[in-house]
Amino acid sequence: MNWDWEKLQDKRQRQFGSGPDFKGLGDEFKRLSEFNFNIPGGPKVIFIIVALLWLASGIYIVEPGEVGVVKRFGAYDRTTGPGPHYHIPFPVESVLKPKVSEVQKIEVGYVTAGMKQDGSFQYRGVPEEALMLTGDDNIVDVQFIVQFQIGDPVEWLFRLQRPVPTVKAAAEAAMREVIGNKTIDSVLTSGKLEIQNTTKELLQSILDRYNSGVTVVAVQLQDVHAPKDVMEAFKDVASAMEDKDRFINEAESYANDILPKARGQAASVLNDAQAYRESVVRKAQGEASRFLAMLAEYNKAKDITHDRLFIEAMEEIFSNPDLEKIIMSDEALKHAVPYLPLDRQGRVKSGDKGGK
Amino acid sequence: MRSLVIVIGSLLLSAIVAMQCVYTVDETQQAILLQLGKPVSETLGPGLHFKLPFIQNVVLIDSRVISYEASSAEVLTKEKKTLVVDNYAKWRIIDPLQFYQTLRTVERAKARLDDLIYAEVRVAIGSYSMKEVVSSRRAEIMAVVTSNVNETVKPYGLQIMDVRVKRTDLPPQNEKAIFGRMRSERERQAKLYRSEGLEESAKIKSTADKERTILLADANKASETLRGQGDADATRVYSEALGQSPEFYGFMRSLEAYRKSLHDNSRVVLTPGSGFLKYLK
Repeated sequence: MNWDWEKLQDKRQRQFGSGPDFKGLGDEFKRLSEFNFNIPGGPKVIFIIVALLWLASGIYIVEPGEVGVVKRFGAYDRTTGPGPHYHIPFPVESVLKPKVSEVQKIEVGYVTAGMKQDGSFQYRGVPEEALMLTGDDNIVDVQFIVQFQIGDPVEWLFRLQRPVPTVKAAAEAAMREVIGNKTIDSVLTSGKLEIQNTTKELLQSILDRYNSGVTVVAVQLQDVHAPKDVMEAFKDVASAMEDKDRFINEAESYANDILPKARGQAASVLNDAQAYRESVVRKAQGEASRFLAMLAEYNKAKDITHDRLFIEAMEEIFSNPDLEKIIMSDEALKHAVPYLPLDRQGRVKSGDKGGK
Repeated sequence: MRSLVIVIGSLLLSAIVAMQCVYTVDETQQAILLQLGKPVSETLGPGLHFKLPFIQNVVLIDSRVISYEASSAEVLTKEKKTLVVDNYAKWRIIDPLQFYQTLRTVERAKARLDDLIYAEVRVAIGSYSMKEVVSSRRAEIMAVVTSNVNETVKPYGLQIMDVRVKRTDLPPQNEKAIFGRMRSERERQAKLYRSEGLEESAKIKSTADKERTILLADANKASETLRGQGDADATRVYSEALGQSPEFYGFMRSLEAYRKSLHDNSRVVLTPGSGFLKYLK
């Protein structure tokens, strides 16, 4: 580039330094005007008007976001910023006004097919651009855009034939090279940012090599997914991961359900046992003190208390009218014993009686 | 009137002559000057130039970087796998005279490059494996092709700036196979996730069950111990108290037992004179 540039500058100096062309033109002008003076009336006025118009055609305005690139006899001469400017009119100088601030966009892997009625855009995939091989022999569907600006208007205008398709082809090559070094999982998940950055750098270096004058603003992945043919399987992996989490959550909720219940049950078992212990001990203590109290009185008058207690108990027992009592002498008893109906008859009879 | 015709005529004539003497070369071009078909100048850059009218003519040649895009073609890799490769090349004319003498037009140059690059790409890719072509050594392959082609095109006055492999795809039938493999890989993975989930779930559930069982067993153990302690304490309390008069306890306890056991549906045979009926004799 450098040598090229210097050569051009050199040549320009050689050719325009003395400016022979202007003198030549000036002479012709003079001759023409002298000639016109001899014709009376209108032609002279017409000539002046034409000359003024011709001079006025050199005025040009550079809009914001543009630069004016002036060529003199086809060779690049100067670059001017926004605002009004003047160039020597045709055929000496001409001006080109590339929009250097405008960010241009190139779509790879899809095209914007148009706008739907609700104002959203409609896209159509271009599989032959989008399908790329990854480093682990898988295929991904990658759709991305490249945003770029004209970084160097002179290079942009003069150094490269068809710069926009060049950017697209280079972007595709760069992206494929980068994707070719990745595994499908990193392309589909975590590696996106890195892919964007690497591709941007690679693309910029490729475009610099062509002296394209293009500055890559951004490479942005739009939609990166598994190819249509295997999409279902990929989605199923995602839902399998969800299923896994679900199974674990369900198990944990089961554990959360039964363990506190079990702890409660254990506590209640322990409390029951404690209650049992306390109650049997207290019962024993109560009965013991009752016994001791009675014993104290019993010791004071053993025989009478013994008899009293015995008689009271018997009275209580035998006063029950439902208790069948048979009183027989020892003699009778001796004879009667074998005939005592010691079967269940009496019970049944008395049971019947009781039932009525 | 006559003088006017002469003036206009001479003006037209001088304009034609001037146009024959002067020419411009655009910033995107370079030029060589031919005098009756023989080159008489070195390469001319952009700007205004002069030549002799009628006997010299100028040939304008593009000085920009020109693209050449090859259509995609199937190429065999080292391990005889087929890849569909398409590439593009960026080149420019650095010696317009040589270019003009050998190729003359950009179209012919493209046709020539097509042959050359196609052959070079084939050779280069044929000495690498598919994996290398697709990923690790792509840049290297392209550099080799670029420099090889550059050597070959030097006599044509061309310079190859870059040969770049754009797409490296598999033929459709291989693609099908890859899709099949990708699908089965994913299915395997999905299955793994699900069964890992079930494994984890079974572990958690059974651990919980185990903890519950142990918890309850511990509680039962403690409970039996407590009950035993209670029974022991009670027994001790009883024996301490009752031990003070075993015969009174026997008597009392017997009475109570009589009360409880002798009631409805019992038949008692009594003999007068004994115990309770001793006065009945």
